[in-house]
Amino acid sequence: MEVSLLADYRLDCMGEACPVPLLKTQKKLSGLNIGDVLIVEIDHSCAMKNVPEWARKEGHNVDIEETGDGEWEIYIEKTK
Amino acid sequence: MKLTETNFYQKIVRDPWPYVTGAVLLAILNIALFTATGNPWGVTTPFSYWGAWIWKAIGGHPESWGYFAEGTAHGKALMQQTFLTNGGSIMNLGIVIGALFATLAASQFKIKKIKNIRQVIAAVLGGLAMGYGARIAFGCNVGAFFSGVASFSLHGWIYTIFIFVGAWIGSKLLVKYLM
Repeated sequence: MEVSLLADYRLDCMGEACPVPLLKTQKKLSGLNIGDVLIVEIDHSCAMKNVPEWARKEGHNVDIEETGDGEWEIYIEKTK
Repeated sequence: MKLTETNFYQKIVRDPWPYVTGAVLLAILNIALFTATGNPWGVTTPFSYWGAWIWKAIGGHPESWGYFAEGTAHGKALMQQTFLTNGGSIMNLGIVIGALFATLAASQFKIKKIKNIRQVIAAVLGGLAMGYGARIAFGCNVGAFFSGVASFSLHGWIYTIFIFVGAWIGSKLLVKYLM
């Protein structure tokens, strides 16, 4: 039986301003496998807009969680 | 129902507004400002006054510089106005207070850590380049682009072309040094 190993990866973008979080997310996600989940930690409100926008446009599943004041985690499930 | 769970709070106070909403509001506010004061919106000119006022206060003579020549608007601002009587300075203060209020209302205020020395170098070099550029281009992306293009001034369009050139070079440097 073949077991596919799906994994969670975290990307620390705390303290990074636009467009660094988006560029880092794009780079990191391109190296992952389909089904993997990338959790991007951000504290820059523009990134809370442009990172999910890009990921949704690419067709990935996206969820945003507010983890603190001015802090978010963006969950991106790679779908293709 | 808590205030923070209402649709009004989430859509208006917390979530970022759509770009179109921001664009329309900025246009209306700039028309109102132009009607009331005779000048469209600008941000960086008051910064040159702040620097010159400080320089003058510690014994410098910015009034001898061409930029602040007697009889010009810059010269008058330097010699006759202060931070509290210069409309542009008050507007800039308003932007900071307004942004602070919006961030607090959305519960998104955070003092961010400096991640590494490269961020500091980039901020200082970028700030110097933007400040110098804004002076020789007669404004920043607000004064030269937003207000310049809206005033049908050719300099606004030239600025628009070259901001793409600058952004292209800047993005190459960013990928090389900050990624």
